[in-house]
Amino acid sequence: MSPPVELTGVGASEGIVVGPAHAHLEGEVEPERTRIPEGSFDEELARFRAAVEAVAGRLRKTGENLSGSLGEDEAAIFEVHAEMADDPELLEGVEGRLRGLESPESAVLAVGEEYARELAALEDEYLAARADDVRDVARQIAVELTGGGGTGLEILEALTVPSVILARNLAPSDTARIPKGMALGFVTAGGSRTSHVSIMARSMGIPAVVGVGDALEAVLDAESVALDGGEGRVVADPDPKTRAAFDLLRARGEEERAGLDEYRLVEARTRDGRRIEVAANLGSASGAEEALSWGAEGVGLFRTEFLFMEREELPTEEEQYEAYSAAARAFGTRPVILRTLDVGGDKSLPGVQQPREENPFLGWRGIRMSLDVPALFVPQLRAILRAAAHGNLKVMFPMVVDSGEFRAAKGMLEACREELEADGVPAGPVEVGVMIETPAAALGAAELAREAAFFSIGTNDLVQYTLAADRGNEKLRHLQGADHPAVLELIRMTCEAAGEAGIPVGVCGEAAGEPDMIPRLVALGVTELSMGPPSIPGAKKIVSGL
Amino acid sequence: MSEKEATVGAEEGIHGRPAAQLVKAAKQFSSRIELVKGGRGVNAKSVLKVTGFARKGDLVTVRAEGDDADDAVETVAKLIAEGH
Repeated sequence: MSPPVELTGVGASEGIVVGPAHAHLEGEVEPERTRIPEGSFDEELARFRAAVEAVAGRLRKTGENLSGSLGEDEAAIFEVHAEMADDPELLEGVEGRLRGLESPESAVLAVGEEYARELAALEDEYLAARADDVRDVARQIAVELTGGGGTGLEILEALTVPSVILARNLAPSDTARIPKGMALGFVTAGGSRTSHVSIMARSMGIPAVVGVGDALEAVLDAESVALDGGEGRVVADPDPKTRAAFDLLRARGEEERAGLDEYRLVEARTRDGRRIEVAANLGSASGAEEALSWGAEGVGLFRTEFLFMEREELPTEEEQYEAYSAAARAFGTRPVILRTLDVGGDKSLPGVQQPREENPFLGWRGIRMSLDVPALFVPQLRAILRAAAHGNLKVMFPMVVDSGEFRAAKGMLEACREELEADGVPAGPVEVGVMIETPAAALGAAELAREAAFFSIGTNDLVQYTLAADRGNEKLRHLQGADHPAVLELIRMTCEAAGEAGIPVGVCGEAAGEPDMIPRLVALGVTELSMGPPSIPGAKKIVSGL
Repeated sequence: MSEKEATVGAEEGIHGRPAAQLVKAAKQFSSRIELVKGGRGVNAKSVLKVTGFARKGDLVTVRAEGDDADDAVETVAKLIAEGH
């Protein structure tokens, strides 16, 4: 065992864990062996068949696991991958190359690439995505053949031992592949507190340290890892002394959390009697029960993107109606604020032709895209209106810069309502609010407040746009806090405008759950805080002490 | 040999889950099964070949040879037409 190596990064999700390490490396697989000796055809073909069987079996199992936890559409992706793995034409192509004494790992990559190119050449965006699928599957078979375990190239979906995942970056599709319960924590070279992997870790309630930089390379072959997601500390191959120290810290953390338990079910009020609602940020209705158990008084941000990702076509109105109704029903009379689709930037949307952009975060995203693509926006609005009949739903629009956009979006919502009424389809009342996440919206808050039923400040984007600092850039870590005076001033202006108009103002960015930001936000006039569910008891405790 | 024509019903053509299901169904049969369109034939048991082979509204001929050719043609043609 190598001596312990310590790394520091950004503590992105609290918690302490010591466990086996799993390095997830993306990129090219380059087989060392491209030729096989004469006379080894039968043996190599058998090896290839066995590898195919292993990969296809694993993919099928992942699909089955997913159909329980994430949904049928994600499961379908793995179903297709499994068919690709044991495709007879793939086998035939590889067999031919084996006869020519090419190694099976090299052959499967070559044949996979041939098919991928064929699909890509059809110039259809769906099929182009299938081309990547074929490459991915061929790569998995090659990794299986070369015994990828030792090289750390194992595929996440094959995890059978709960592990700490080490990766340069983890995309939504990577984290979606991890079987339930198999991720103990995340350590990534890139990323910040607000990148996807951090948000995911907090909602899963597992520790994460992100932005450790190139230092990660040195620990990719570690067998075990200890991490403290609060402090941003990672120790690779911890010695017994280090393990003991982490265990002690974990025990203390658990004790502290137990002390917070009594706050779960209280209604948070400051000592001078101001009521502050503490709500959850959720990505799907399946997290509702857990959020309620942490003490969520509602949902301050229900992200709808997850319905649109990792799939081959847009979700139908019916499907969205089901998902939103489930959320509405789960929270009963408690408010659930749905944010309409917010893609662009770091999230791509299969099913809509998105132009390549130099600056996606300053590009065609959020309400800009929704207003331009009725086929995207109308079914979502109709689904929200219909689902509102089953609970206390509200809706808000992302990336708004002025009241013109807000009125246009609201107008479309009203048109949908009229259409539903004309067709005799039941719809419920829906309060319409606006996200304040661009400096323009904060500066124009007074005008927006006259038209909106509530504000919700998205601090993650507000910080990024105000300080002109990419939130994924680890070199700009010092420019990623909502405590910058310029950001605080915009929040103050927003609260002032809301106060004058008599509308509530929430915060649904990461700042809402940060212990040192909560007192400031409350002092500025924020009336609702929405955060990852595990942070709720702590936030209620802080509010109660103000 | 058995043969039957079907018009592709799936909105997005044959790919994704419909393709996987078609291939899975085809694999249940011992017969050799081919999809033919415009004189070009592909192995119906290969998701790599079937994916993107036809678009919605295309007329595809299902052709099978073997012991269970009749059943195979019926089943595969039905899946193509239904489009799930």
